[in-house]
Amino acid sequence: MYLQSRRTFLKGAAFSVAGVAIAKGVFTTNAVAESVASSKFTNTPDTISFYPDVKEWDSFKELDGTDWKRGGIERHGVRSESNPDGIQVNDYTIVPTVCSNCEAGCGLTAWVNKNEFDKGILTVRKYMGNPLHTGSRGRNCAKGYAVTSQMYDPDRIPFPIKRAPGSKRGEGKWVRVTWDEAMAEIGKKMHDTLAKGDEISKKQIMYHVGRPNENGFGPRVPQSLGIDGYNSHTNICSAGAREGTIQWTNDDRNSPDWGNADLIFLQSSHAADAGHYFQQSAGLIADARKRGAKMIVIDPRMSNSAGMADLWIPAWPGTEAALYLYLVNRIVHEKNKDGEDIVNHDFVKNWVNWDRLMANKAYLKKMIGYGYISKMPKDDSYESFLELLRELYAPYTKEFVVKECKLEGMEYKLDELWEYFVPAGAKIASYLWRAGPIGHRGGWMNTRAGFLPLVLVGAMRGDIGGVGLHHWHEISVAGKGDKATVAGKHPTKTDVWNEIAWPPEYPISTYEMGYMMPQIMMDDAWHEKWTKRGLKIPKSMAVYVPRMHNPLWINPDGFRWIEALKDESKFEMSFNLSPTWSETNWYCDYVLPVGLAGERNDQQSTPSKPEQRIEFRQAVLRVAAEKAGWKPKDPTRATLEAHMKYGLGEVWEESEFWPNLIFHHVDPDGKLGIRDYWASKKDPSRCVTVPEYFDAALSLLPRLKETATKMYKGEEYPVYAYIRDHGAWTEKTNVYKPQEEEMKIEGEYVYAHGHKYHKSEVRKDEFGALWVQDGELKKSIGIIQDGKVLDGFHTLSKKLEFFSEWLADEWKWPEYAIPVYPRNDAENDKMVHVVTQVHHKHMKADNEFALNTIYRLPYNIHTRSVNSKHLMEISQNHNPVWIYTKDAEKLGIKRGDAIKVQIVDTLSGIESGYFIAMAVPTEATRPGVLACSHHAGRWKLKDSVKIPGFEHQLGVMGLGAPLYEMTNDGKVGTLKPKEGIDAMKHREMWQFKEYNRDIDDIWWDGLSGSWQNAVAPCHPDPIAGNHGWHQKVVITKAGADEKIGDISVNYENNFKVYQAWRDDLTRPLEPGDKWRRPYHIKRPVKPSQKAYKVEIKDA
Amino acid sequence: MNNDLKQQQIARINIYALLSRLTMGEVDEGLLKSIEEDKNILSFFPTYEKWKKRKEFDRKDLIERYLNVDFTNLFLLHLIPYESFYMREDQMMETGGDNPVQAIFNAFEFTVELDKARVMAADHIGIELEFMYELCKAELKALEEENVEIAKQLAQLQYGFMRDHIVEWMPMYLLNVKNEAGTAFYFDLADFCLEFILSDFEYLHTLKESEYKYLA
Repeated sequence: MYLQSRRTFLKGAAFSVAGVAIAKGVFTTNAVAESVASSKFTNTPDTISFYPDVKEWDSFKELDGTDWKRGGIERHGVRSESNPDGIQVNDYTIVPTVCSNCEAGCGLTAWVNKNEFDKGILTVRKYMGNPLHTGSRGRNCAKGYAVTSQMYDPDRIPFPIKRAPGSKRGEGKWVRVTWDEAMAEIGKKMHDTLAKGDEISKKQIMYHVGRPNENGFGPRVPQSLGIDGYNSHTNICSAGAREGTIQWTNDDRNSPDWGNADLIFLQSSHAADAGHYFQQSAGLIADARKRGAKMIVIDPRMSNSAGMADLWIPAWPGTEAALYLYLVNRIVHEKNKDGEDIVNHDFVKNWVNWDRLMANKAYLKKMIGYGYISKMPKDDSYESFLELLRELYAPYTKEFVVKECKLEGMEYKLDELWEYFVPAGAKIASYLWRAGPIGHRGGWMNTRAGFLPLVLVGAMRGDIGGVGLHHWHEISVAGKGDKATVAGKHPTKTDVWNEIAWPPEYPISTYEMGYMMPQIMMDDAWHEKWTKRGLKIPKSMAVYVPRMHNPLWINPDGFRWIEALKDESKFEMSFNLSPTWSETNWYCDYVLPVGLAGERNDQQSTPSKPEQRIEFRQAVLRVAAEKAGWKPKDPTRATLEAHMKYGLGEVWEESEFWPNLIFHHVDPDGKLGIRDYWASKKDPSRCVTVPEYFDAALSLLPRLKETATKMYKGEEYPVYAYIRDHGAWTEKTNVYKPQEEEMKIEGEYVYAHGHKYHKSEVRKDEFGALWVQDGELKKSIGIIQDGKVLDGFHTLSKKLEFFSEWLADEWKWPEYAIPVYPRNDAENDKMVHVVTQVHHKHMKADNEFALNTIYRLPYNIHTRSVNSKHLMEISQNHNPVWIYTKDAEKLGIKRGDAIKVQIVDTLSGIESGYFIAMAVPTEATRPGVLACSHHAGRWKLKDSVKIPGFEHQLGVMGLGAPLYEMTNDGKVGTLKPKEGIDAMKHREMWQFKEYNRDIDDIWWDGLSGSWQNAVAPCHPDPIAGNHGWHQKVVITKAGADEKIGDISVNYENNFKVYQAWRDDLTRPLEPGDKWRRPYHIKRPVKPSQKAYKVEIKDA
Repeated sequence: MNNDLKQQQIARINIYALLSRLTMGEVDEGLLKSIEEDKNILSFFPTYEKWKKRKEFDRKDLIERYLNVDFTNLFLLHLIPYESFYMREDQMMETGGDNPVQAIFNAFEFTVELDKARVMAADHIGIELEFMYELCKAELKALEEENVEIAKQLAQLQYGFMRDHIVEWMPMYLLNVKNEAGTAFYFDLADFCLEFILSDFEYLHTLKESEYKYLA
C-alpha cells in the first residue's frame, strides 16, 4: 500500500469521530514549563562546579538529589504551589566546618536545608568539602563524606546518661540526666577536690584526650584548674617519631613540602593513604608525581601507597634504621654522576651541630669505647667530622643491610633506592611516621637514623620541596582567647608534676604514659617505692575524663583497663565526653554526648604544606539557625540549645561545656581563682560565648584580623564572623627555612619568639649560639653566622643536632646520642633498647612471626566510625591476618581459615594469650611478617539500653559491633562473639528515621576483626615511652570450638610483661637528679619550672 | 480559509489523533466500535476488515484474546517504541529530562503527562504523534483566524520535528511492527501509520518549498 495517494488521507476529514475525541490528550500546558523557565536549573550543568561562590552560601538553592532521579527538571519542573509534582528545590545555608574523623582537619561544608525552618526544622543534608581550605582544597576522603551518617546515626546517644544509682560500673544500667544535673554533680566533685588545695589534689583530675583535633583549648582547661591533669594518646600513636624528631630538631614532627618534592620518601602508609595528614598530603603527593616525582615506600606490608610506589622496600619491621644508615654510608663515601660530593656541605657545615660533637672530647672517647670509631679525630674541623662519619657508618654495607633487613633476593631494590635518592638532591619530602617508629622498642631510632641522609643532602633545610618542621606551619591560638575573659590573661602554670602521666622511669617520653595508666595506678609496690623516694603520687583519680577517646579499647591490655575503671577506689568518678557509644562508656559514671565534625567549635591547624593556616570547626546547626534569625535563650549554651531545637538531641561540645561547668559549678564563687579565666569580660555574670572567645583568640593573627575587620565592618566579632563564614584562613604562604631569618634587633633589644631581651642579658657561646637566663636554666634564642644574627632551629644549639648532647649527658643515654644501630649480633643483644622486640632473631620455628598491627584502614577511624553505616559497609571483612603465601602454604593455611594468634613477649618470654582471626594468604606482606590492623574488632555486651522513664531503647553500636560474651576473673579475660548485628534491623527506629530508611539493606554481621589490643601487653619503650605495638606471635589453626573474634588474655601475665619492660630497660630518675625532664623539650601543657624540679631520696 | 485546506487540516488532525491513540495504549471497545462502524476509518484497516477472527469473537473477546496480546508484544515487551533507542549509539532509552524530545516539548511549554500516557519517556511513538496532532490543531486554529504567519511557523515546526525525529526512526519501528504483528489490526495500523507519516512529511516538504503558500 506504499505511496498511497495523498487524497486517500483526506478521508480523515470525514471521520465520524473527531480527533479531539480520539486523542489521549497527554499534553498539557501548565506550570512545569513556566517553573523551568523561571528557575536557574538545567538538567545537566554547563560546567561541573562542585561549590557555589562563597557569596551564595547563606542561601544556595539546589535541586534535591533524590527527587531529581524522578526524571529531572525538564520532565517535572520545579516544585511550587502551582506545580506540586515538580522537583524539590532545597534552600541551603552552606556552613563551613572541619572534619573531626582523623587528625588531618580537612575542610567540610555542611549543607543545611532550611526549607522548613519556619516549622522549626533544620537538617544537614550532606557534607561536602570546603574549597576555601587551602590544604584540603575542597576534597575529602570517605570519612569526610560519611560525617552525615555519623551525625544521624540511629544509635546516637540522645542525652547525658548516668550510671544507675546502686549499680556497678559495667552492669549497663543507666538513667537519664540533664546536662545541668550532670554538671552540678561533676562540678561539685571537682570543686571539692580542688578546694583541698594540696599537691595530691592537683593530680587527681585527669583529662585524657584521644583525638584533640584542636590547637589549645583543651590544654587551657586543666591549666586553668591549676592541675597537672592533661593526658594525651601520643604514646600509642606517634611517640617514636616524635622522639627521634625532637632529638634532631626539638620539634616533634616534620612538615614536608610534598607538592614540590622530586622524591616522596615514606616509611609506612601514612601521608599517602592514611594518617597524618592523609588526603591533603595524598593530593599533594599525587600532584608531585604527576609532575614526575618518584615515590619510595618502606613498609613490610604492601599498602595502597606501596602498591603504587615506584619502589617498595619491605624491610623487616623495626630494622629500617639499618637501611637508612646504609644510605648514609654511601652518601659520605660516594660522588654523584658529575663527580661531586653528595653531601650538601654548605648546609651541613652551617646547620648541623658537628662542632659541638668535635669539641666534646669526653664523648668522642665514649664513642671509641662503644666501638663506634677507632681513634680520636685529628682535630675539631669539619673535614675531621666527615672523616668520623665515614668511619662510623662504614659498617652499614649493602651486605649488612640485606642480612639485617632480610632483603635477600631484593638486593636490586637497594640499587634502585640509590638511583632515586641521589638525583632528588634536597628535594626529598618525607614522613617516617607511625608504623616503624611506634611499633617497636627503639622505634624512635628509625626517625633519628632516617633523617640523617636527609640532613646530609640538605633536604632538612626546609627549602622548597624538602622537609620543614611542624611548628613552622602550625598555628595554635585556640587556647588563647584570654582577652575575652575577666582574667584577661592566660592561666598560670601549675607547680605540680603528675607522676601518673609522667612517671619517673620515663623522663624523656613523648609524651604522657597514658596507655598504661591502669598498670601504674594498680601497682601498689610501685606507688610505695616512689613515695619512699619522696614523690607525692595520688592513689586514686577523683575525676577521670576521657575526651573523644576510647582508652579501654584502643590501648593495650584492655582487661586491665576494665579492672581499673571498675574500681571505684582508683577512679572515684569518671565521665566520658564521647560522640558515640564506646567500650569505655560502659565503665564510666556518666556519658556526656558531645559533637562530631559539624557539632563542635574548635580552632585547628594542620600543616600539610609550607603555609600557616587555620581551620574552624563549628556547630553548623547553630550557625545556620542564627543566620536564619534564631537566637538562643542563653548565649553561652547556644550550641546545645540549637542541637536540642533542631532535632539532634542533647548533644553539646566543649567550648561551651567547660566554661559553663567551671563558671557555675567548679568555682561558682570564684574562691578557687579559676572562674575569672572563663568569665566573660563583656558580661561577667556569665561565662564566655563562642563568638567572644574565638574572636579574641583568632584576633592574634594579624593578617586575619586586618582582613576580617575590613570585610565585616560593624560586626561585633568580625574575626569570628570571618571564620564562621569561610571556615579556614591562610595567614602566610611559602614558609620556608625560617631558621635563616634574621632576628629582630631594635636599639638595645633583641626580640625572639615573642619575647624582648636587653642585649646585656644575651650571652654568646663559643659556637655562636645566643643564650639568656630562663629561671634557673638557660635557653638559647638565636645564633650568629657570618656576622648575621639568625633565628636558628629550635634546638639548644640552634642547629640540627646530629649529636644530642643533652641525651648523652644529663639524660643517661650516651650510647644513643647519635644516629646508630647495632652492627653485629653482640651489639644487637647489648643495645636492646633500640632493637625491636620482633627482631627476626626471635623467630625460630616456622609458625613464629612478627605481627605488624600498626596501619590504619583508610576508611576507618580508631573508634568513632563504629556506627557510620557507610564506613562500616566498606570496611567489612577488610581486616584479616595477612600471611605471605609461601608461609601459609608451609603451614597448610588457606584463605578464610580461622587461625589462633598467640602473643609471646620476647623480653620476658611470657605468653599473653591469643586471638582468633581469619587468615588471608597474600603476596602483599613480606615473608615472616603477618599483618592485622589493630583498628578493628569492636564489641558490645548489650544491644540496647532501657532508660527508666524514656519510651525508647537506646541502641548500642548497632551497625558496627557484634554482641559478645565476656568473662573476667581478675587474671584471665575472654571475649566470645555471640551474635552479629541482626538485632539492629529488628529494633525500633525512633530517631533519624528518615535518614536511615536503608537499614534493612545491611548485609554485614559486624564482625570485622578481633579485639587484639586487649591481648597485647604494654611494651613501654624505655626512651620514647611509646607502646611497641608489634608482637611476636605463634600461629596455629584454630580448634573446633574456637571462632573468629574469640580472644583470651592472661592479663596477670601482661602485668609481668609491663613490669619487665619497665624494670629491665629504663634508666629512671635517681638521687642526684635535679630535673624531672629536659625543660627545653616539648611537654603538652607545660607546668612551671618549679614543677620540673625534683629531689629523689635514697631508697 | 479555503475549504479544501480546512478539510485537509482536519484530516491530518483526526489521523494523528487516531494514530497516536492507537500506538499509545490498548484499544478499547468503544474505540474499536467507532473504527469498525466508520467506513472511512475502516478503510485504513483493510486486512482487519476482512479478518475472520472478527466474526468469531465479539469485540471484548477479540480485544482481550488477540489485540491486547499483540499490543503488549509490539509496544511493551519485544519492540521498543521510543526514539532514543533508535537514535542513540548505545541504544539506551533516555527517560529523564535530558531526552531531546522532552526538551522540545518543554521549549513550547508542553508538558507530557507520562503517567496518564503510561509510557516511560516523551519520545514514545504515541507521544510524538500526539505532539503532531497538537501542532496541527494549533495550525488549523491559526488558519481559521487568518493568522498565516503563526500557521506558517507551526507548519515549519511540524516539518522540522518530522525531519529530525519522526522520519528518522519511526519507519524502522513500524516496519518491525509490520513484520512482527500477530493480528490484522496492528499490521494495518503499522502500515497506515507508515504511509501517513511519509505522506505527511512529503506534504510538509512541499508546503515548505512553496514558501508556505497555503491553498488559500
